Amino acid sequence: MNARRALLIVAAAAVILGFAASAVQAQIKLPGKLGDAAQKAKDIAKVGKILRSGFADITEEEEYYIGRSVAALILSRYPASDNPALIQYLNVLGNAVALFSDRPEIFAGWHFLILDTDEVNALAAPGGMIFVTKGLLARCQDEETLALILAHEIGHVAAKHGLQSIKKSRLTEAFTSLGAQAAQAYGPAELAQVTSIFEGVLSDIVEKLVVNGYDRKSEHEADALAVKFGAATGYDPNSILRFLQTMVGDKSAVSGKGWFKTHPTPEQRLEKTKGEIGKLKVTPAIEEVRTQRFKQNFALLK
Amino acid sequence: MKRNRGPALAALALAAICLLAAADTLVVKIQTTQLRNAPQFFAPVVATLKAGDKLDKLGAQGAWFQVKTAAGATGWVHSSAVEVPKFTLLAMSGGTKTQATAKEAALAGKGFSKEIEDNYRGKNPSVSFAWVDRMLALKTAPAQVEDFLKKGKLGEGRSSQ
Repeated sequence: MNARRALLIVAAAAVILGFAASAVQAQIKLPGKLGDAAQKAKDIAKVGKILRSGFADITEEEEYYIGRSVAALILSRYPASDNPALIQYLNVLGNAVALFSDRPEIFAGWHFLILDTDEVNALAAPGGMIFVTKGLLARCQDEETLALILAHEIGHVAAKHGLQSIKKSRLTEAFTSLGAQAAQAYGPAELAQVTSIFEGVLSDIVEKLVVNGYDRKSEHEADALAVKFGAATGYDPNSILRFLQTMVGDKSAVSGKGWFKTHPTPEQRLEKTKGEIGKLKVTPAIEEVRTQRFKQNFALLK
Repeated sequence: MKRNRGPALAALALAAICLLAAADTLVVKIQTTQLRNAPQFFAPVVATLKAGDKLDKLGAQGAWFQVKTAAGATGWVHSSAVEVPKFTLLAMSGGTKTQATAKEAALAGKGFSKEIEDNYRGKNPSVSFAWVDRMLALKTAPAQVEDFLKKGKLGEGRSSQ
């Protein structure tokens, strides 16, 4: 790129920014004398649409409320495991890794729970509510592996993969409808409409999370983030390779779902993840003291 | 020589445009967060901030912002806890401040909120939130995390151990 081309790009960027600003102004301008209630409502709906267009415009609080209901739906499919000591270990470990993620602070904090099933799975609801199954925990040999799996799930939340699975048309409908009335409180019809959009949002996310699994791009991105966050915390990222290796060629019934149901094959994930580990400047090594405390805590599981 | 200078020039100019566009007001976007006296987690807490609190941005270091609260306290917040308010950006783009404020008021409280969740739960009584509430009530104290990191030879201090 030469200097002239660079300047052209800058000039173009400036023009685009200027246009965007004036377009927004033009669209939200209130008509002076014609400003009756209907017109105001229309204008506010427009503002709603201009201000919010995609998944990234969902607020932290909305993400939290979506996440709560997604979590409730996950917990209606799988029972929770009531094991306070192990849950506490999991939450301290998960919060430690989250601190070294791209999103250490999240609306209501990070929370982790164990699902009482042999299925090998981990799930992350938007808003930082993360689930791991007993079946998955039973396959972890050390703290490093569990840390990297939690880092992968934290990666899905940090990159907002759950919210990205909401259908575009549904978001447009939501943002239009949310801005449709000037009143600060919902009227009964509006409440019913927004609730029905909310139900649609939940089914989009649950379908992706629980039924179909994420696509190749999201899964590779979460693996890359797992390496990044895990290594930043101080864990040996090679542990995720050891875990993925156990998935190669596994055709057992419990592994026909969940973590095994992603669209890239374990072999593809191994390959890409090795590449990510190769990019690290420093690769932490496994520490015996961590494996020891992991084993102490997991004596409680068996 | 030209070839080397071009991208740098472009980056500089773009940075200048971004700076012009950026507001120096930040707003807390999560339930609660801490104002700390240094740009690190586990640094002593100066004040507790809550969702919607407005802060003046004084500076930045890594992923941390140095800010001043409405009450006049100064300290550091993590960038994942705050955002640039969108309405402020719009209002700053020229002459629309009062309009933006009126609409801000109209849109406040709308969205996927507790009210929507309550209505959803009324319609779907078989979906239980009991474990969700138990899960969200789990408290992990920062001191616990700090101790866990230290004992596991993890975190920022690990290289010196």
